[in-house]
Order: sequence, then structure tokens, then C-alpha cells
Amino acid sequence: MHPLLFSIIDNIRSLGWGGAFQLLRNGLVLGSLYALIALGYTMIYGILKLLNFAHGDVYMVGAFLGYGILTRLNGPLNLAIGIVPAIALMFAVAMAGSGVLGVAIERFAYRPLRNAPRIAPLITAIGVSFFLENSVQLLTNGYQYTYNPFELGKTGTEELGPLYHTVFSVAGNPVTTVQLFVVGAALLLMAALVLLVSRTKFGKSMRATAFDREAASMMGIDTDRVIAITFFIASMLAGAAGVMFGLYLGVTYYFMGFLAGLKAFTAAVIGGIGSIPGAMLGGLIIGLVESFAIGYVGGQWSDIVIFGLFILFMLFRPRGLLGSRAIQKV
Amino acid sequence: MTTPESKPEPRPLLELAGVSMSFGGLLVIDDLDLVVNEREVVSVIGPNGAGKTTLFNLITGIYAPDRGEIRLDGESLVGMPPHKIARRGAARTFQTLRLFLNMSVIENVMASQYGQTKVGVARAMFRTPAMRREEREIRARAEEKLSFFGERLMGYRWDQPAYSLSYANRRRLEIARAMATEPRILLLDEPAAGMNPTETHEITELIGKLRDDGGYTILLIEHDMHVVEGISDRVVALDHGVKIAEGSFDAVATDPRVVEAYLGTKATETK
Amino acid sequence: MSDQPNTPAPEQPGVEQTRIGVDSWVAESEDRQARTRGFFGPAARGWDASPDSVKLFLFIAVAGTLPFWMNAGDLFIYGLFTVLYATLGLGLNVVVGFAGLLDLGYVAYFGIGAYGYALVSSDHYGIHWPTLAALPALTAFTGLVGLLLGFTSRRLVGDYFAIVTLFFLQAFLVFTNTANPDIAGVGLTGGSSGIGNLDPLKFFGYALTSVKQQYYFFLAVLVLATAGLYFANRSRTGRAWRALREDPLAAEVMSIPVNRLKRLAIVMGAALAGLCGGIFAAIQTAVTSSNFTLNVLIFIFAVVILGGLGSIAGPILGAIVINVSFQFLQPQNDHPDIKRWLFYGAIVLFVALMKPWYRAVVVLGGTLAFGFAVHAIVSATAATSWTGGAVTDTGHASVGKAIADWVVIPNQTLHGGFDTYAYIGLVVLVCVVRSTSGWWRSLILIPTLYMTAVVWETVLAPSPAVTAEILFGVLLIVIMTARPQGLIGTARVEIV
Repeated sequence: MHPLLFSIIDNIRSLGWGGAFQLLRNGLVLGSLYALIALGYTMIYGILKLLNFAHGDVYMVGAFLGYGILTRLNGPLNLAIGIVPAIALMFAVAMAGSGVLGVAIERFAYRPLRNAPRIAPLITAIGVSFFLENSVQLLTNGYQYTYNPFELGKTGTEELGPLYHTVFSVAGNPVTTVQLFVVGAALLLMAALVLLVSRTKFGKSMRATAFDREAASMMGIDTDRVIAITFFIASMLAGAAGVMFGLYLGVTYYFMGFLAGLKAFTAAVIGGIGSIPGAMLGGLIIGLVESFAIGYVGGQWSDIVIFGLFILFMLFRPRGLLGSRAIQKV
Repeated sequence: MTTPESKPEPRPLLELAGVSMSFGGLLVIDDLDLVVNEREVVSVIGPNGAGKTTLFNLITGIYAPDRGEIRLDGESLVGMPPHKIARRGAARTFQTLRLFLNMSVIENVMASQYGQTKVGVARAMFRTPAMRREEREIRARAEEKLSFFGERLMGYRWDQPAYSLSYANRRRLEIARAMATEPRILLLDEPAAGMNPTETHEITELIGKLRDDGGYTILLIEHDMHVVEGISDRVVALDHGVKIAEGSFDAVATDPRVVEAYLGTKATETK
Repeated sequence: MSDQPNTPAPEQPGVEQTRIGVDSWVAESEDRQARTRGFFGPAARGWDASPDSVKLFLFIAVAGTLPFWMNAGDLFIYGLFTVLYATLGLGLNVVVGFAGLLDLGYVAYFGIGAYGYALVSSDHYGIHWPTLAALPALTAFTGLVGLLLGFTSRRLVGDYFAIVTLFFLQAFLVFTNTANPDIAGVGLTGGSSGIGNLDPLKFFGYALTSVKQQYYFFLAVLVLATAGLYFANRSRTGRAWRALREDPLAAEVMSIPVNRLKRLAIVMGAALAGLCGGIFAAIQTAVTSSNFTLNVLIFIFAVVILGGLGSIAGPILGAIVINVSFQFLQPQNDHPDIKRWLFYGAIVLFVALMKPWYRAVVVLGGTLAFGFAVHAIVSATAATSWTGGAVTDTGHASVGKAIADWVVIPNQTLHGGFDTYAYIGLVVLVCVVRSTSGWWRSLILIPTLYMTAVVWETVLAPSPAVTAEILFGVLLIVIMTARPQGLIGTARVEIV
């Protein structure tokens, strides 16, 4: 293990402050994405006590939907419409499509199993996840699609498209438009969600259904509808995250949902499953941990680092940072 | 009429001292003291939400008390996992039945004997003579416990799945399952719930039989005062987690605080 | 008042008999007997009546004759691999079926056993343990890994355990594939190329090098594992497992140490998987991480779920059905005509299950007619490129022609987007079918079945490997929502 430790210290030293800032910046962006996906996991778990394994794949489908729209508009090189309306359209279609997909999954795969033992919908969720991943693999021939967002909106003379222009620099390390955009958009969506859950009447029925589904339905809440809309919102957020990922890193491939979903779920658990602020915090933490792990330890070890963090939480604080201790009323 | 000298000295089997428990901010059991002597039938009564089932959960280890001591035959039960408490001799039934529904009747009663048996999975896989002998003993003990209830759970009923039983039979099966753990104290949570008068009468007689013939000590939660009156040696009344009365049935039933807890203040005034 | 069953009232023809005083179990006994009265009645009765040992002997007898009429290549694919998956399924069944824990890292134990064997029986480090030492050692080691994993998820609640194990699988794959740390000068796991040149299984100097020998050995392992688990199921441990699956809280209160039993199940499942890994590695004489991917995990899950969670014979049946079908779909074993017959045959079978029988006939006939109609309309109105696509690998020309006349197969290069839209359209149609009922459902079933054929011919048949994975996913969904007990499991009753 010694050589590993030495290389870590080496990396820290060689990257210096500038490098550290870059890792921080990347971590924040990644963290925003993970937070959005983690929110979906936590919402669905909160309301159905179900781990929706397929959620990561909804994120992946969202990314592909965005990509599909982009290519329909002859992007990224010859956009038929302006860059801002193009991106808006990508988001709209991806979010709507993912939302519908999420609702369909709930309706056909999970709803028949509402009263089955817990393991049944889990297995179905795996089936759905596998189905989605392989369907997309089939339809895309397994290609990893790259679309250079560096090119998006470019008008010929500049080096990079406007998305990749530097907005400001910190000690010579650039922060680009797309990075600010991702973090900003994520914050906006999260704020909207928090408002929805805490201030609106619908948010109240969501919380009621999450707390006690039977009682909520007896109080006149249409729990089926509430659950369906929850899935819609959760999947919508995931779809948005998918498009953002595509814009930020410029790639989409059928398997991207699996690992991202796993890490996002870790984020949700670390933050406290069922807690919305917990998911946001957890996402941020995982994003930062991953970024710094890649930078200091090495790409192949970053997943193992996250795994180790997850195990630590499982052992010492299973309810997460902001989760509440579950009381089982017997 | 027995002379006082020939009556055996009541020996405490279960002792609770200063037990308190809160859920979040809600104090559910407040500084409770309780003693159950051997071969006694003690009934716990009180309005809903008084903390009766929580009391059972505390004794059987499902919850841990925030403060206080729980002792079975002198040994502290606090902090022990439920399966160890079961082995020490405290068995219970549930207010909302919790049978192993997809297992057969006899399997339910055989399963609860796990704590007293010891053949491990390795010996089971090779079907050693020791394993086969133990299986026979387990089965015999299960049949014996089920025979306590007359013909109802006997014969062809043994291999029926538990979900096919009628409600009253399910209650009986749950008691049989608890008995199979060879407990010293039986905690029965509303055993007569949902029963018609005839069945209620039977349950009352059964509890008496458990105490007299079976030698069990019984702690009973009940709402049906016919049962409580018919079988209890002592009655304890709880309200909002606090013990408000203790004594014979007549003493407790007429205690003004108990009346107030069940019926409200006006009732005590109009009495 | 006793509720002894009364003697049934005298039968009155044409009037539904209510049996007052007879409990439901007795009343249903006639239904249970009716099952064995049909065409296969005597066989069904004989099967039910025979003790389980006889069933096992029958299985051994049939399985044992395989090498006599299969060539070595087929025996390897259809015989040896089925036995492998059956044994793996048995192990997974212990964790998922008996203890109710979703172990998504199960295939990692398989891999650990295989790599373990590779490390102690090859030139990689020059260690050559005799098989009789290697196999038990790696079985025990893998069991220990399972135990450690069991301790990490302290609450051992299903959901968290699933994620921990999935992560563990990922970590295992990353560790063996990319991390590959250097130990004693050599990469421990050989990276992506793995470790090769492994010693064959050797018992007392007798090496198992032919497929037939390996098959019999593995079959023996399967039989022993089946018998052992069968006995375990009928013991106090088995009862305790079933109790904790029913109601863990009640089980705990009834003196059953729930967490300890869950860990026991994990260890047993892991150990069995490790043993399979070691044997597998020896048979392949090489091991790479590509043998232990998520796809393999889903395969094993499909085997267990299809057969029936919690039943002993289930994984064996599931392995036979799934492995045989899967191998048919593999590109290198391509039997194009068989593949096609399997597919269309499955559809016909599925429709034939509809009651009443005339509805099934209407649907099938309607689908045929619909197809020809659509084909005729498209050929007449649209450009020829819409029906100009090639039918993928048909054995007989006449089959290809019939298909081309019925299914609309567009020219792939000109209409590349067709695949995606057709596929999505099919998924939508299936959802619609699921939401409707009665005659509407049968009606919508017609274009849906046709669309299925279209998608099969254009999208699925050309890519059999991925199609198999898609079908696994669909299989899991369909079985859990429609028939959770699988083929031979017993239906569970949930009282809500």
C-alpha cells in the first residue's frame, strides 16, 4: 500500500492550489448532477419505500432524448435555431420524456406489487433497469455518442462554442459557462422542488402519502395520483440531469445510468434517505469526493473510495447525515 | 378454604422498576413499576394509547427503555435482543396477529422452538441420528401444545397453511406458538379481541387452564372486562403511560381515576 | 362449539353447493384433485405421490444419459453450463429465496472462487495446490468474504444490502480488471486479460480433462448440493428461514436469531458460488473478469426467479429452460430457423393460454390477416424501400419469403430511424394492452403482436446477444408482476 500512499501525496503536491481549485470546481458540477438524481431516489424511496434501480437509466434516457433533439436540429455544428432555444428545447423534451417514462414504469412495473413483499418490486426494478439499458444499447448499437458541446453555437471564427467560453478565472483556472449553467440550473430546480414540497398543497399530500399511505388515502388524498406525480417529478429531474451531463461532458452512452445511479443512491443514503435536503447535501459530498479521488488517488480507485465511504456510513451512521431515526411502530 | 400458611409465598417473576420510554418528544411510558408473581394472572387495562402494547414491546426487547430496569427472575432484560429474551422465558402474542401465514399450522409451532434446540444446519444437511431425534422431539412438543386447544387444531389441521384458519383459530395458534417456546411468562396482547361471547368465554377458561394446569405466569392486556374480571388475580390500570391504579378487579374498576380515564371527568361526577 | 367438518350436504345437480360447516381447506380439496384428473392425470398423480428421492433419481438418470447422445461441443454448452447455472441458482436461492435478501453481488463470489483457484493452481505465482486442497480452501474463503459483507450491512434490511452487494460487485470488477495491484512483482489479477493456463481438476492423480468427465463431476456436485439444501430446508434452520421471510419481527420474538440466520444464508450461498467458481475456472483453464459481469448476475437471477423463489427444484428447472433458450440465441450457435420457431412458437403459446379458446383463435387469425393487409397496403402505396429489407438469416428460402410477405421490413440503410420508432411504438402498445381488458385487450393485441414480429425481424433478430439481455429484463418484470412464484414455486398468500 505504501506506493499508493506516496503517489497520493505526490499528486496533491504536484496539483497544488490551482489543481485543487479545479478539482473543487469539477466536484461542484458533478455534485449538482448527483444531487438531482439523488433527489429522485430519495423522493421515490420516501413515498414508496422502494429503491428504484431504474432511476439511473431514466437519467440516461433523458440524456439521449436531449441528444436526439440536438441532432434533429442539425446540431451541434449547424443549429437550425439559436443556441438558447435549442438548449431549452432539449431540456423540455428530455424532462417531459423522462417524466412520462417514470410514470409508465411506476404504473406497469411497480403498482401491481404495492402489497407484495419488499423483495418483489426490487427484483422488478432490476428487470426494468436491465431492460432500459439493453434496449438503448440495441437501438444505438452500443455506440458512445459524442456531441461536442465545444462546438455548440460556434460561428466559425472562435475556438470554442459559447458554452465553453470562460466566464471568469481563479488563479488562472477557468470557470466556463456550462459549468456555471449546470450548477445554476440544478440549484434552481432544487429550489423549485423544495418550494413545491413545503409550500404547496400538493407538497403536503406528498408528505402525507410518504408518512402513511393508508391514512392519507383515507383522508381523501388520491394516493395513486400523488405517487404517479412524484415519479414524474423525480424522473423529470433525472432527465434534466442527463441533458446537463451531455452538455458538460459531451458524451452519452447506454451504460452511463448504471454507475451514476449507484453513486447517486449512495449520495441519497449518505444524506439521509427520504430527506430532500439530505439528498442535495449527499450529492454534493459524493461529487466532491469523486472529483478529489480521481485527482489525488487515480481514476480506477475513485469508485472504490466511494464504496468505502458508503460502507462506513452503513456501519456507523445508517440513517445518514440528515435522516431521521426510523421508529417502527409495532 | 386454605389456611394462610399453606399458600405458597408469591415469588416475583417479572419486575419493572422506574421504566420510562419516549418516542421523539412523546413520553409513552412514565416511571412505571410493575411486579408479576409466579403463577399469577395480571391484567393490564387502560384506554387506547395508554402504552400497554409499548409495555409488551419493552419487555420483549423490541424497544429499549430510556430509563429503568426490567428483570425476569432476577436477570436484567434491558439491552438484550428479542430472541435472547424469548430464550430466557418471555413469550408473547400480538394484538394484530403476526403468524407465519404461509407456513403450516404445525410448522408455526415447530418454528418457535428454535431457541431450545441446537442441531445446526451442517448436521441437518447430513441427517444425523441426533438431528432426526431432535426433529421428532420438536414435532411431538408441537403436537402437545396444539392439543391444549381441544380438537380444533389437531389432526388434518396440522398441515393446513395458517392463512386458511378462521380468526379464532388463528388467535389460538398464536398462543400455541408462544407456548412452544416453553416460556415462564406469557404476554397475551388482547387475546379476546374480535371474538363473540362464546369464544370470549372459552378464552377466559383457557387462560385459567394455562395458569392452573400449565403452570404459566400470565400478563394480559385486555379491553373486554368480562375476561379481566373472570380470570385476573390482579389488575393494573395505565393511562398515558402512568400506572393509575392497581389491585383486585373490583377495586380498580371502581377507582375514580380509572373511571375518569375511560369515560372522562363528567362520569366520575355523575357516579 | 366445535367446528368439526360436517358431512357434505347431498349433491343437487345444477345447484352450486355451499358447504356450511366445512372449512375452506377441505372444500377446496376437490379442486386440488381435479388438477390431476386431466389428460396428464395419471402422470401428474404419480409425480405428486412419489417421494422426492424418486424425483431426484429420475433427474439423475435423465441427466446422466446426456453424454451418450450429445457430442462434446453440445454437451459443453447445453449440459455443463446448465449444471453450472443450476448450482449457482441453488446458491442464490438460499440467499434470496430462503432468507429474503437481495444479493446483487452474488456473481462476485463466483468470481472470487474462480480467481482464488487461478491463484493457487497455476503458473501465475507458481503455486500448484492439489485440487482436494484448493477447492475446499476457496469455498471456505469465499464464504468468509460473504460473512464479512453480511456484517457491514448491520441492519441487513433488504434494500441497503442490495446496494452494498451491488457496489461490492462493482468494486470486484474494478479491482480485477483495472486496479490489478502488483503483489510479489506480478499483477494480482492479471488485469483485463486475466489469468490463464490453470491446472485441471485432479483427484488422486486422475485428471478431469474431457467434457464428459467434467460434466459428471459437476453433476455430482449439483446433486449433492440439492440433497443438502433439501435437508436443510426441512430442518429447524429451514423453518427459521421461512419464518424470518414471513415476518422477521415475529420470528425474532419467537426465539429466532434473525440476523445470524441471514448471515448463515449469505455464507452458504457465497460458499457454493465460490465452489462453482473454482470448478468453472478449472474447466475453462482460464479466468477473466468478463465472466462475472452484471449480465451473468441477471442470468442467474432469471434462472432462480423463473424456476420459483424458495423452491429447491426451481433453479434446476429454470437453468434448463433459460440456458437452453439462451444458447439457441447465441450468434455462434446460431440455429436461425430454430430461433425463429422458438420465437413465434412462444407467441402462439402465450396467445393459446387465453380463455376462452375462440378468443385465442380470433387473435391469432386477426394478427395474420392484419399483417398481410398492412404489407399489401405498404407495398402498394409507399416506396419499395419500405419493404425491401432483408430477412436476417433464414435457413430455408421459403421461410424467408413467407416472412418477407407478411412482415414489413424496411431497407435498413435508408430508414435507419425506423428501428427506434418501431421499438418505442411496441413498448407503448404493450403498455396499452396491459391497461385494457376484455375484448378491447384482445383487439389491441392484434396490432401489438404484429408489431412484435416487425420489431423481432428488424431489430432483435439481427442482434441476438443484446436481445437475450433484453428478454431477461422483461422476464423478471413479467414474472414478478404476473406470477411471482415462478414455474414451480407455491403461491404465497399475502394478507394485507
